[in-house]
Amino acid sequence: MGLPAVKLQGLSKTIKGKPIVNNLNLEIRPGEVFGLLGPNGAGKTTTIRMIVGLIRMTEGDVFIQGKSIKNEFKEAIREVGAIVESPEMYPFMTGKENLIHFARMIPDIDEDRIHRVMTLVGLEHAMDEKVGKYSLGMRQRLGIAQALLHRPSILILDEPTNGLDPAGIREIRHYIRNLANEEEVAVIISSHLLGEIELMCDRIGVINKGELIAIQEIRGSGKDSGPQEIKMEVKPVKKAIKLLKQQHGVESELTEGLVSFELKKELIPEVIQTLVKNGISIYEVRVTQSTLEDQFFDLIGENVVG
Amino acid sequence: MVNCWKLIHNEMMKIYKQKSTWIMYLSLLLLIVGSGILTFAFSDVETEYSDASWRIELEEENNRLFEEMEEFEFFQEINMSLIAENNYYLEHDIKPVGYGAWHFVWENEILLSIVSLFTIIIAAGIIANEFRWGTIKLLLIRPIFRTTILISKFSAVLLFALLTTIFVIVFSWFTGAVLFGVEGLNPYIVIEKQDGLEYVSLVGETMTTFALKLIHFLMMATFAFMISSIFRNSALAIGTAVFLMMAGNSIVAYFSDKEWAKYILFANTDLSQYRNPYGPVVEGMTLPFSVVILLVHFVLFMLVAWFAFTRRDISGTY
Ligand SMILES: Nc1ncnc2c1ncn2[C@@H]1O[C@H](COP(=O)(O)OP(=O)(O)O)[C@@H](O)[C@H]1O
Ligand SMILES: [Mg+2]
Repeated sequence: MGLPAVKLQGLSKTIKGKPIVNNLNLEIRPGEVFGLLGPNGAGKTTTIRMIVGLIRMTEGDVFIQGKSIKNEFKEAIREVGAIVESPEMYPFMTGKENLIHFARMIPDIDEDRIHRVMTLVGLEHAMDEKVGKYSLGMRQRLGIAQALLHRPSILILDEPTNGLDPAGIREIRHYIRNLANEEEVAVIISSHLLGEIELMCDRIGVINKGELIAIQEIRGSGKDSGPQEIKMEVKPVKKAIKLLKQQHGVESELTEGLVSFELKKELIPEVIQTLVKNGISIYEVRVTQSTLEDQFFDLIGENVVG
Repeated sequence: MVNCWKLIHNEMMKIYKQKSTWIMYLSLLLLIVGSGILTFAFSDVETEYSDASWRIELEEENNRLFEEMEEFEFFQEINMSLIAENNYYLEHDIKPVGYGAWHFVWENEILLSIVSLFTIIIAAGIIANEFRWGTIKLLLIRPIFRTTILISKFSAVLLFALLTTIFVIVFSWFTGAVLFGVEGLNPYIVIEKQDGLEYVSLVGETMTTFALKLIHFLMMATFAFMISSIFRNSALAIGTAVFLMMAGNSIVAYFSDKEWAKYILFANTDLSQYRNPYGPVVEGMTLPFSVVILLVHFVLFMLVAWFAFTRRDISGTY
C-alpha cells in the first residue's frame, strides 16, 4: 500500500497534567472515509486541533501525505481542508465574500472555483446574503465549501452533522461519499452519534477518554471486512441450524425465535442460497454491526453512569 | 507563495465591512461639518485681509483682544500670544493670510484624539475578534505562518490609522474650502515655536503636527494590539489602552521630579514637545532620546504580541 493520507504517530496531549489524548496511532488511506466516534469530551476535537496544527502535541506527530505538521507546517496544511467544531464565518460578510477571504490565503484559486464549491454545496442562491442571516445548516455547508476551496486531498470535519436535520445529514453524506469515491479525498469525520456517520464511513475508530479503543471496518472493500451479526427468522428452525453447521461451518443459536450467528458480509448471499435450495422459508434477515454498536453503547453507558 | 498584500487586503476588507467602522467615519464626518459650521456661525474669523487696510484691521483685532483679556482673565495667555503674532506681522510688514481651508485642517488636529480612539478600537479587535467569532480556527489552518498573519494584521492597523487621518485632512479641507474659502496653495503664517515667533508654511506645519500625533497614538494602538494578542479580549485591550492614554500625562506629571521619569513611555510619546514653546516634559530630554525610548517600547510590545500569538494553543477555552 502507498503512503497513508494521514498518519497519527503516538499522538498525545496533556493539559495541566491531565492526559486529554493518549498515544493515538492511526493510518488513514487516500479515498477512505474514517469516522472518529466518541462521546462528548472523548478528545475528538483535541485530536483534530492537533492534526491541523491549532494546538501543539505534547508527544508524537502527525504526518499529512508524509509531511510532518510539526516541522513542515505549510507543506502539510496545504493538503488539508477542515472544519473544527462549529463552522464559524464572518457574520457581517456574505457567503461569497467569506470564500473570497479564504481564497486569498491560498495560491491559485480563482473566482470560478468559488462558484463551483458554492454550487456543490447548494448555496449558489445564498451567495450574496450575509452569513449572519444563514441557518445553521447553511453555515455548515458554507463550512464545507470553505474546506473544499483549495482542492485538499484530506478533508477533516468535526461533528459536521451537529444541528442538522436528517435531510441535511443525508446531503452531507452524499457530498462526502462523492468526494471520497471520485476525487480520492481522504475524509476524517467525527461524531458522537454512530447512527449519523456509520452510513458514510469506511472505517470507524471509537475514542473514549483520549484513547482509541476500537477500529471497525464498516463497508469493507471485500475480504477485510469483519464478521457481522446476522439474525434470521426461518422455518423450520432446527433444519436451518443444522444446514448452517454442515454446509458453512457456522455455529448458530436460537434467541427470541431468531436464528443468530456471526458471518462475514460477503458470505451472506451464499448462505441464503443454501437455505433456500434446501426448502427453508426465510421471513426476515437482519444484519447488525454488533461489535461496534455494542462497544459504543457500552461506552456511552459507562460515560453516563461514571 | 501568498503575498502579504493579499492578507492585508483581507484585513482591510474585514475592517471596512463592519458597520461599526462606518459609524466611526460618520461620527468624524459630523464632527468636522459641525465644528466647521460652529466656527462659521459664531467665531468672527477674518477670511480675508484687505491689501490697503490690513494694518488697521490687525490693530483693531489687537485692541479687541486686549479688551477681552481685561474682562476674562481666562483668555490672558492665548490672547497674549495672538497679539504677539499680530505684532510680528506688523513689525515685519507681512500681510497675514485670512482664515480658510488650511487653517481649518490645522485646527482639526484636535480630531486626531478621536481617530486615535478609533485606531485603538481597531487594534484591540483585530486579533481578539477572530477569537470571539471563532474564525481564528479557519485563519490559522492555511499555508501561512502565524507570524505573517500577525504582520498583516498590524499593517492593517497602520493603514487604517493612515487612511482615517487622511480622511480627516481631506474632508476638513473641503469643508473648510466650502465654508471659508482657500488661503492659497502654500500659505505662510506666524507661529510661536521653541525659539520664539517664526514665519512658516501652514501646510508643512499641519503635516508635521499630524505626523507627530500619528506617532503618539500608534504607540497606544500597538499597546492595545499587544493586550489583544495576550488576552484575546478586545474590551480589556480598549480599556487599558484608553486609560493609559488619558492617564499618561498625569503619570508623567506625578513623577516629573524623579530622575527616571524621562524613561516613562508617556513622557516621550508626544514629540511635538520639541517644537512647541513649552519645551520637553522632563528637563534634559532630547529628540533622539525620545525616539530611542519609543523604539524600545515598540519592539517590546511587538515581541510580546508575537510571542502570545504564535506560541500558544488555539483551544476552545482561552
Ligand atoms: N484547553 C483545555 N484545557 C483544559 N481541558 C481541556 C481543554 N481542551 C479540552 N479539554 C478537555 O479535554 C477533553 C476532551 O475535549 P474535546 O477534545 O473537546 O472532546 P470532544 O471533541 O470529543 O467532545 C474534555 O474533557 C475537555 O474538557
Ligand atoms: Mg468536540
